[in-house]
Amino acid sequence: MANSTSNSNEIDIEFRSVTKRFEDVVAVDNVSLKVERGAFFSFLGPSGCGKTTSLRLIAGFDQPSEGDVYIGGKSVVGIPSHKRPVNMVFQQYALFPHMDVADNIGYGLRQRDPKPARQEILKRVDQTLEMVRLSGYGKRRVWELSGGQQQRVALARALINHPTCLLLDEPLAALDRKLRREMQIELQTLQREVGITFILVTHDQEEALSMSDRICIMREGQIIQSGSPRELYDEPINRYVADFVGKTNFIDGDVVDAIGPLVSIKSESGQVFSGSQPPGAPPIANGNKACVAVRPEMITITNIGETSNATNITINGQVVNRIFLGEHTEYLVATEGCGEVMVLSPKSIESANRSFEPGDHVSVSWGPEAALIIGDT
Amino acid sequence: MREDRKSGRWLTAALLAPTSLWFLVMLIFPLIVILVFSFGERAAVGGYAGGFTLEQYANLPSRLKAFQNTLVIAPAGTLLSLLVAYPLAYFLALRVGRQYKLILLVLVIVPFWTSLLVRTYAWIFILGGRGIPALLEFIGIEGVRLINTPGAVLIGIVYGYLPLMVFPIFVSLEKLDKTLLEASSDLGGSPFKTFIQVTLPLSMPGIATGCMLVFILLMGEFLIPAFLGGGKVFFIGNALVDLFLQSRNWPFGAAVSVTLVVIMLITVSLYMRMTLRSKTGRDESLM
Amino acid sequence: MSKSNDNRPITAKRFMKELRRYEKGSVSRRHFLGVTGLGTAMAVMGAAMPSLWPGKAQAGDLGDRLIFSTWPNYHDQANLDEFTAKTGVNIQVNAFGSNEEMLAKLQAGGTGWDVFVPTNYTISNYVALDLIQELDLSRIPYYDAAANNPKFAGPATVNGKVYCVPKNWGTTGFVLNSKEIMSSPKSWKDFFDVTMGAGSGHTIVHDYQLTTIGAALCALGYSFNSIDPKELAEAEALLIKSKPHLFAITSDYQPGMRSGDGWMSICWNGDATQLHNDLPEMEYVIAADGGEIWTDFYAVPKDAPHLDAAYAFINFMQDPKVQAREAAVHGYAPTDSRAIALQPPSLASDPILHPAENLMNGLEFGAAQTLTDPVRAEVMARFKSA
Ligand SMILES: Nc1ncnc2c1ncn2[C@@H]1O[C@H](COP(=O)(O)OP(=O)(O)OP(=O)(O)O)[C@@H](O)[C@H]1O
Ligand SMILES: [Mg+2]
Repeated sequence: MANSTSNSNEIDIEFRSVTKRFEDVVAVDNVSLKVERGAFFSFLGPSGCGKTTSLRLIAGFDQPSEGDVYIGGKSVVGIPSHKRPVNMVFQQYALFPHMDVADNIGYGLRQRDPKPARQEILKRVDQTLEMVRLSGYGKRRVWELSGGQQQRVALARALINHPTCLLLDEPLAALDRKLRREMQIELQTLQREVGITFILVTHDQEEALSMSDRICIMREGQIIQSGSPRELYDEPINRYVADFVGKTNFIDGDVVDAIGPLVSIKSESGQVFSGSQPPGAPPIANGNKACVAVRPEMITITNIGETSNATNITINGQVVNRIFLGEHTEYLVATEGCGEVMVLSPKSIESANRSFEPGDHVSVSWGPEAALIIGDT
Repeated sequence: MREDRKSGRWLTAALLAPTSLWFLVMLIFPLIVILVFSFGERAAVGGYAGGFTLEQYANLPSRLKAFQNTLVIAPAGTLLSLLVAYPLAYFLALRVGRQYKLILLVLVIVPFWTSLLVRTYAWIFILGGRGIPALLEFIGIEGVRLINTPGAVLIGIVYGYLPLMVFPIFVSLEKLDKTLLEASSDLGGSPFKTFIQVTLPLSMPGIATGCMLVFILLMGEFLIPAFLGGGKVFFIGNALVDLFLQSRNWPFGAAVSVTLVVIMLITVSLYMRMTLRSKTGRDESLM
Repeated sequence: MSKSNDNRPITAKRFMKELRRYEKGSVSRRHFLGVTGLGTAMAVMGAAMPSLWPGKAQAGDLGDRLIFSTWPNYHDQANLDEFTAKTGVNIQVNAFGSNEEMLAKLQAGGTGWDVFVPTNYTISNYVALDLIQELDLSRIPYYDAAANNPKFAGPATVNGKVYCVPKNWGTTGFVLNSKEIMSSPKSWKDFFDVTMGAGSGHTIVHDYQLTTIGAALCALGYSFNSIDPKELAEAEALLIKSKPHLFAITSDYQPGMRSGDGWMSICWNGDATQLHNDLPEMEYVIAADGGEIWTDFYAVPKDAPHLDAAYAFINFMQDPKVQAREAAVHGYAPTDSRAIALQPPSLASDPILHPAENLMNGLEFGAAQTLTDPVRAEVMARFKSA
């Protein structure tokens, strides 16, 4: 996912201890972050966690209560939105209903001082229409277009200005699933082509994981963890992140042995689980509450007693549900003392062994390298 | 099949009949009466005496000044009302917090709860010699005459018609999607350019409605010119009051009314054509 | 009014009282409500909402209501209340602006009026149009023909039949602010000279063809009542020439005079009294070259719905004591010598109410044809529209 045109290390957008309050609501709480030029950066988090507000602070619709926002190395606090070199794609597109498609797209160029010549604007509009695959739609009324087409007009209207950074506030939320998938790919391709920074706001973890170079996970105005999708997936620093990014099985317990990153916990049923703490996570001590997190695809499901490797952790249980997902089969196993465990079994293994039915007694097992120990915070 | 369609048509006609009748009785019939009257003659002691003559229409030039006054001051008053009302509506719709909006809106309507008569009367005192001119004299500006001038009539018009102008504009500005303004700013539009290119065109339906309402009512206005114009700023409305209530010259009054109606019809159809053209495609996204 | 009535909507009586209070301060005699149409609105409202009227269970033979059309500031509310208290008849008062407007309403029909107050010169027209009824004087015992100066009472009798009884009489001259106008104009000619000279921009003429055209005619040396087209054309020319110098064309001239904008106005003597009482510099002039003298009457329309109440009311108002009390409030002189005798000396000798006989030599009663003459109406309309 590395960006070929990116000039790495150069910082495009930076927050330094930014706080934004609305009366008694703290929408953004002491956030610091850096976005590299040319990156595809995402804000991910549940509703109301401050994603839109962060974006609006960059666009200049809101000003921070405290802290500094930098664009291209310069503080932009106090600079109104129409003087900032960034552009936004709004969630509901915010296309001008009294203008046709071409006039909408050319709007940004017409605001320039000096205003480019009419011919120049027309040419650029045509080029941009082509880029978003809407050639020939210039004279259409915007409300005659489908949702996906409107979305592309909104993109074109922003991109024609060559912003240093494009801000996208849940741009795909209004589209149906299939169209959303298509547009995700289009957006990624486009970003590679134009090579400018994209900052995307979404509450859809799949979208964030599949599209972004870097993701910043937010909760209640604060950044919980930021990193590449792989880092977030493999090394979530807490249960919130692990839960938010992909599916995970959690087994709660008390820390019984903590030597450096290697930690053992004892579950309620008395079983001891070991695993390593993700790098960057706060250290934990004996007696702390913690949990072991295991991704469902790291777990093997077998007949009882068939466990292949002695170092593996094994729990017995009974299958309660099975869902075919094409490439994978998802099992839900009710275990003895460790609650329900989800297992994702690849098709290749399914065909080698026999598959299991609800009601079958099974063992689930995983290697120690698959288990993460995560503090309870 | 054909039978069905036929009976359906009858049903439609039957259902529409009351409405059509209503329309006929309430709108068309009075107009026809006025039209017939306008070709008649004044009875010796006043009223209508029948007959067919174009005399009344031939006499129209004697009210030329009234038509001129009305056709100059009504548009001017409409324009002035717009200039005063727009910033107010803009402020109410876009600048005022939700918690104060209702209170301020009510304050705009409150004057409507008392009669225009009483309010206009207050202006007689404000604009009269003991009012603003006395204040101006106090600071050294002497000899200012406000009352009984076209200016006073315009002030009265703006005051009396302000709510009628403010409301349609307020509604259209309220309806305006505020993210469009942010979008414009985001694309580099300064606040002024945003206003000219987005806010103003999108509030056009409100402006047109407000202007139409005010203009049409102004064409028949007689109270404000009578009180604040001191009888010296004479509208068609005043001519009509005189003709029907003083000289009881119904046929000539009818002829003046018919002329007025024709002028208004022309204006309204121009308005319709204008808004229809500028509205193409706007409704769906705006309404 | 009993306590239990307090949460009911405003009663007609109270409404009228409030309205009257409002009129007192700001509204002069004629034309005001005529222009506004308020009189009509009130009449329609009263007819459409009988529930506004407090029902009188013990209402006598007279019924419980009376509709009375008159002029603003022309009655003492206490007297009307006393009549209601005595008879149980509630009075609905419609205030009108001009004789022309009253005629327009009666001609249109269906007014529901029981009693109204026409001016002398209109009566023969009403009789000719069969709009008013002959009075049965035996039902108005307080009326004493002998006590009434025939000069004033005369127009009540048409073709030997009595159609109305006199109410008050008065003159139409002009009022001037002596602090602003030093030249003491004495005639309508002076009036127009001052208007187009030293007093330019400060003169008010009535929005009323009878007095305004009459004043111009007198200034030109013609009869106040002229309907001669040539003379009217000259009057029109004079009026149009003076128009740029006028402050206003309105019959509601008290506010303009009080505010200091108006220095001079055509004026009815009762208004002059009211102005003079508040502002001593306001002087009333009966023009040496003519003007109007008039009498107002009580009359009953042909289709009056409450005839008994109408007679009872007229009789009550003819009581010399009531007449004297009325005059003390509105400032117009009674025609009835018994009432004059009851007036306090200050009023009985007031030169505005009772001018010296010789001053009135040139005054004319309005003539019947001036009311309906189309040329006069058109001259006035052209003057206003000029
Ligand atoms: N203009 C405002 N006035 C008051 N509170 C606001 C305002 N804008 C945002 N907030 C509050 O700030 C918090 C963060 O809002 P924000 O819109 O940034 O959330 P979000 O992460 O974009 O949520 P969503 O996914 O639902 O869009 C919320 O609690 C919201 O109520
Ligand atoms: Mg949001």
